Amino acid sequence: MKRETREYNYDWDIWTILENAAMVCDGTPKEYRSLLSLIPHFGTALDAFMKQGEPGVLFIKLLAKYIRRCLTAGGEGKKTVLTSFSMATPILYALDIVPICLEAFTIFGTVVLKRGTSEFLDYCCELGFTETSCSSQRGALGAFLSGLATRPDMIVCNSPGWCDSNANSYSFASAYLDIPFYQLNYPSEVSGKRSATYHRQDYRNLIAFLEGHSGNRLDLDMLRDIIDETIRQDELINDLCDLQMLVPNPVPNIYDLMIYGAKSCMNGRPELTEVLESMVRHAKANAANGASGNSTEYEKARGLFCYIDHYTTDARLWDWLDRNGISHLGSILCRYWQADASYAVGRGDEAYRVEKGSLDGMIDSLADMTARMPMVKQIRGPYDAPQMWLEDNLNLARLLKADFVVYFSTVGCRNTWGAVKLLVRDLEKKGFPSLLLFLDSFDDRVMSWEAVTDKMSEFIHVRGIVS
Amino acid sequence: MIDAMKDIAQTISNSHVKRWKDQGKKIIGYPCTFVPDEIIHAAGMLPFRLRGINTTTLSIGDTYFGPVICSFPKCILQLAGQGDYSFLDGVVIVNGCDSMRRLDECWRKAGEDYAGTVPGFFHYMGVPHKVADYSLAWYADELRAFMERLEEHFGVAVPASSLRKSIKLYNQGRRLLIDLDSLRSSPDSPLTGEDAAAIVLAGFAMPREDYTGTLKKIVKGLKKTTPVTNGRKRLMVVGSTSDDLDFIKLIESSGGVVVSDTMCFGSRSYHDLVDEEGDPIEALASRYLSHKFCPRMFGYYRERLEFIQERARMARVDGVILQNIRFCDLHGSENGIFERDLEAQGIPCMRMEREYGPLVETGRIKMRIDAFMERIS
Repeated sequence: MKRETREYNYDWDIWTILENAAMVCDGTPKEYRSLLSLIPHFGTALDAFMKQGEPGVLFIKLLAKYIRRCLTAGGEGKKTVLTSFSMATPILYALDIVPICLEAFTIFGTVVLKRGTSEFLDYCCELGFTETSCSSQRGALGAFLSGLATRPDMIVCNSPGWCDSNANSYSFASAYLDIPFYQLNYPSEVSGKRSATYHRQDYRNLIAFLEGHSGNRLDLDMLRDIIDETIRQDELINDLCDLQMLVPNPVPNIYDLMIYGAKSCMNGRPELTEVLESMVRHAKANAANGASGNSTEYEKARGLFCYIDHYTTDARLWDWLDRNGISHLGSILCRYWQADASYAVGRGDEAYRVEKGSLDGMIDSLADMTARMPMVKQIRGPYDAPQMWLEDNLNLARLLKADFVVYFSTVGCRNTWGAVKLLVRDLEKKGFPSLLLFLDSFDDRVMSWEAVTDKMSEFIHVRGIVS
Repeated sequence: MIDAMKDIAQTISNSHVKRWKDQGKKIIGYPCTFVPDEIIHAAGMLPFRLRGINTTTLSIGDTYFGPVICSFPKCILQLAGQGDYSFLDGVVIVNGCDSMRRLDECWRKAGEDYAGTVPGFFHYMGVPHKVADYSLAWYADELRAFMERLEEHFGVAVPASSLRKSIKLYNQGRRLLIDLDSLRSSPDSPLTGEDAAAIVLAGFAMPREDYTGTLKKIVKGLKKTTPVTNGRKRLMVVGSTSDDLDFIKLIESSGGVVVSDTMCFGSRSYHDLVDEEGDPIEALASRYLSHKFCPRMFGYYRERLEFIQERARMARVDGVILQNIRFCDLHGSENGIFERDLEAQGIPCMRMEREYGPLVETGRIKMRIDAFMERIS
């Protein structure tokens, strides 16, 4: 690791960038335009959000607030837990524990830092990680392992059962840093009484672990408030999904990132509700005008991302799609399987419903919710089994009227790389042109962004998706 | 006898398999130590651990699996697609790790393109990644479901009494292997690591009754054999699955002798016994799931470290080779912490990434082993 990289803590570095960005949001347009020239490495990314107007500004403010909370928690006597994007955070907030979402921190670094997270990715390999371990954890984990990020009090992962590489990163961190560890483990089936019982027992043990290590007790009133907030957030996310079904799609491309970026940090917090409300308001205004959410006049094509997006410097994916008149119909990361979501209607207990009548009901609901978080639901069993990856993608591709499907991933994703060729073959058979690219969404060294756009352009033209 | 074991260990369809099939009996393949052999044995069938040895191409494996997947399941799929596993009447796949779990879909889909390569009985079994009362209950249910499907598909019955007999038989074999381990790890080890690996590997590919009988004779004979150590450096091999005798032979060609291991085609498979009392399924579930020596069981690093330390102490090892197959995140990264912690205790370690399959990188491996031997000499 370069000496200058060791000069500043990774999380503080990101926080200062985002905190300043959040302050810029309150400046005049002239001030903002002048500032952009002074931050060449982050300006494009900042502008990608700022040009969305109020939702983008609120999103940047949410991130700044979230990171500040992560950094100052210890000083305020609060416990922190290093956890993953797939962990539903309401239970942590209800226990007054601050979640440090590892993958979110990787995305922050990937998007805003000049050199991305490459040195931290490599640092993990110096400690023993294989160089193809998942970069979505390694990117920020290298900072935690090297002491360049605030040491968490606990580690909780909920990936055993659907992602070894993810779970391995957290268990490695626990063993390496000697930090208490808890895993939520998932059986191969989502629904049915047997799975529900397993999920709920495991979740209750999680609560006992969190209470034991934080010294906090679950506060019923706080939990109820957070549940209310979560219900409202679910409704708003479902609204956005409904809007995405319209042609043209009135939801701006980058809302996809904003939904899961904000949710993985602030799920259950009012700040998320505020961002989502603003996003829905703006998307509805577009819909009322019959306008696309993108800046181009026409919607030329609609693309569904069956797994994750691409995050390397400057958040260029969404912008590239926008410039090419392509609507981003969301990725696996913004499907949460609340029972009223259009894609979940009539799917029984494949989806979750929140009950707030009793403490037990609320805990069970949160267990059910966590068990259906992105990826937790879709890739825990055979890809072609009912309720799994293929069925979900076909359902969404039809519902959202996708013209094509894209698979982006990391080279560490053993689970999906083990089945994605089969998935793509099946999607093609069902009439959805599908693009599979060997790239790493967090590391341009695997495939450069220029090569990615070349391949995507070639695909959409050769397959006649865009003429 | 050890030569006979080597023959079995180096072929897929060995003479025992042929004889078994000639008798009209069934064979069930399984990929991982989280599948209890006892259930298959109690059903009157031969449990056969799937391996990927002797592959010369991955044309089929690479067609279905993606590019960053461990070559072990790819080699298995390759052999299946080529028809080398045509003697199997059934297969049970488990989520041992993410690469292995996708063998389920890849094999099924390959079966659509290569007719007759998917056995009539094809079963997927989910194994939890933690030990808790509810995960044990889940796993016990999975074992019951597996047994019921076997009974239903093959029209056999597996009474508890048969299961108990199988448990006893397998425990007997494990005790003998533990005896073998004691001999192997003694100061005057009477057999090489290559021989020891061959003996253990053969147990996954031949009828247990025959195996136990042969094993008894081998252990008895070894007690009278002259030592092979003769001042050679004593090594332990840790990490990813390895069923390649040539790999161990290569290590030993540098002047060491492998006196211990913690691999799943090695001591991990026989280290602990199944309780012979009580409900046999519960007993199997308890033994197999409590088996935390595989890093797929997340959060048990300390237990695994202690297991290695205990075995290293017992075998008085001079050095530990921490190896992993390329793309094996679980063993690969954990080896990094093992190295840190074992070195801190004065146990020299080397980490090595390698490919599964026919040993094609002997030069590189040999050079690294030689360098390690120099270090510990």
